Amino acid sequence: MIGLFVTLILFPLAGWSLGRRSLGEAFLFGAGLTGTLLFFAGLVHVPLVAALALIGVWVVGSGVWELKRRRREPRIQLPLPTPYAPLPTILLVLPLVALTFITAITPLSDFDGRAFWVLKAKGIAHERSIDGPFFRGATLDPRNHYPILIPLDSAAILGIAHDLDDRQIRWLYLGLLIALALLVRERIGRLVSPAAGAWCAALLVWIPQFVVEHEGGALSAYNDIALAAFAAGAFFELVSAGSPIRFGLWLSFLVLTKSEGLPFALVFLIIGAFVFRKRIAIPAIAAAVATTALFVWRARIPAGDEEDILRMLPTVFGKLHNLGHALAAFPTHMFLFARWGIFWIAVVIAAVLAWRVDRRAARLAIAVIAAMLAVYIGVYIATDWIVSDLIAVTADRLLMHVIAPALMLIALAGYRTKSI
Amino acid sequence: MNGRSLIPRVAGALLFLSLAATTLPRLVAFVNNARMLLPLRYEARREKQMGPWYESVEALRRELPANEPVALVATPRGVESAVFANYYLYPIRTRLFVGRNNYRDAANEPALPKTIVAVYANRVERTTYDALRDRDLRAGRRVVATPQLSAPSKTFILPIAASLDGPAPETFVIEATIANPNPAAAEVRATFWPKGMVKTLTIAPGATAAYYDFVHQLFGVTDRGWMQVDSSQPLRAAFYFANRGHDDATLLPNATGPATGIAVAPVYRDTKLFVLNPSETPVTAIVAGNPVTFAPHAFITWPVNSVPNVSGEVYAYVATRQLNGRTDFLWPR
Repeated sequence: MIGLFVTLILFPLAGWSLGRRSLGEAFLFGAGLTGTLLFFAGLVHVPLVAALALIGVWVVGSGVWELKRRRREPRIQLPLPTPYAPLPTILLVLPLVALTFITAITPLSDFDGRAFWVLKAKGIAHERSIDGPFFRGATLDPRNHYPILIPLDSAAILGIAHDLDDRQIRWLYLGLLIALALLVRERIGRLVSPAAGAWCAALLVWIPQFVVEHEGGALSAYNDIALAAFAAGAFFELVSAGSPIRFGLWLSFLVLTKSEGLPFALVFLIIGAFVFRKRIAIPAIAAAVATTALFVWRARIPAGDEEDILRMLPTVFGKLHNLGHALAAFPTHMFLFARWGIFWIAVVIAAVLAWRVDRRAARLAIAVIAAMLAVYIGVYIATDWIVSDLIAVTADRLLMHVIAPALMLIALAGYRTKSI
Repeated sequence: MNGRSLIPRVAGALLFLSLAATTLPRLVAFVNNARMLLPLRYEARREKQMGPWYESVEALRRELPANEPVALVATPRGVESAVFANYYLYPIRTRLFVGRNNYRDAANEPALPKTIVAVYANRVERTTYDALRDRDLRAGRRVVATPQLSAPSKTFILPIAASLDGPAPETFVIEATIANPNPAAAEVRATFWPKGMVKTLTIAPGATAAYYDFVHQLFGVTDRGWMQVDSSQPLRAAFYFANRGHDDATLLPNATGPATGIAVAPVYRDTKLFVLNPSETPVTAIVAGNPVTFAPHAFITWPVNSVPNVSGEVYAYVATRQLNGRTDFLWPR
């Protein structure tokens, strides 16, 4: 139960410590911020317990202050609820209640979560360091160079709970899905319509790949939902042409969450340059700092058996025989009914319709999806693994990363069709 | 409600149903599973979920010292199991070795964990290197499929008796076949010298006993020396010095007493002179022109570059390794 309370309190308060935002966004922002701060603290060898204590004092203080301030100030008038709101809300809540019950009872049983991610969290929590013996080969850590933002969040929970058992951190992974759903609901609600936001959030929590899949779903401890959530944060910031600082922070979180986060951040920076113009320098600096920190940390510790994507990419032209497999990967998996239903068929149709309604938003969504899938196809071509095996275990999870722009297209298309 | 506003609703409903069609039944199954697990303690839920494998990890976690690193020696099919054993054993530090050879290749590393955990797909268990070696040898195939049995004899000496590992994959064993062609049971006394370890076997009338690793199976040690075999009945036997790693074997002579006249022959690498004293008393022999005294039952080796002259009441022979790894023995006449 300690893990539940820490998850419910620490991350939203951390998110609210840097300004007013919705609960879902606050949770995600707080998780990203906590992990990032702990990572930088660990990098400069500030004891993680001290860093966590400082973060705790800061987030609780500023979070409570922000909540009090919010009560004093007049509420922002949200658009009136539409007739659709109760049904999508019920549909949103139902699977989340079921997932909460399952999370509370059922032990973790996935592959990557236990083999890599939670193991790292245990290592960090036990040694209170991000470059201690655990990361220097004293014990088996097969993917030593994987970024550790979420393991740091998990380690914070384990540390506060004084318990290395993974039951303490199961809530974090469920929390990430709930927060992503709330972020989608709120942001699409604002960008398109409240009904569109509510329905998109409801759709999200019924997608099998997010909800019930053993590998990558909310009941696992994979980091793909976290990456999808941070990508969603960055995407909505991009579409609303919001704060370049927030955009930069989301990109930093992406870089420090998974290896795929770095190319994702680059894609966002390139597309973001057309939105933010000169202000793109701010997110570029933020992403560069996170990337540099990640590489400095990696340089200090031995590599595991993970593939070095950067070293692999120049070999892409010698491996063009993988092209067929790579190009077929996403179409094949997009139409896997058991994992996606007809979601991606709907997205493809929605992309065409959305283009006619809001060309700018649709263009951004399509650009993000297409660019990221192109990057992943490039990685599939360059991989030293058996490409079909790699595709089989990763393609669905990679599709998760672009869920926010995909839902945005559906929202735009639905809005357009209604308004004709 | 006009036709146009109906289209997105129908499309949305179809999309939702396509997702719920998969998610709902699985979610219900997960909830039912959780309800079934609810009355159990958390560890018991894990046991229920992961079966005997998790029970074996739990038992191991209680048994292993917390501050001592552990070698997880996994079969190729057990690697996944090792990865999860590592997860549940943490903070006990582990190092993964895929196969026993991987572990023995690291034998000279000072940080090599001494505590060994054998990892199988369905269980983990604390074990010893010798036990793992025996498991592998037992599961493998003997080098000599049709041994050439000797003429019947009641007493003989095996000039080399060994159960040893070289650098992987070299594994030296004595493959033994002992047949009792007599109408009475044979009481066989085997003495492993120079340690003097004794083991008595009974071979039923007309029966044949076969061993894939005679020394280890009889005495439970990995060592080398020579062996005295005494039987109550004349036995037909074949003892092979086998290298399981290279799949080659040499038939050992069933010696009866001292012999020193080693025929001159070309030698290759790792050439060694072996001298053993089969008697109960100290013996002085001349080795390459120098007098050397051997304790009773001694077993001495010297590295040599050629076949030396040896004389005296000892048994002497030379072993040399061909470039292909095969061991050649130059026995005394």
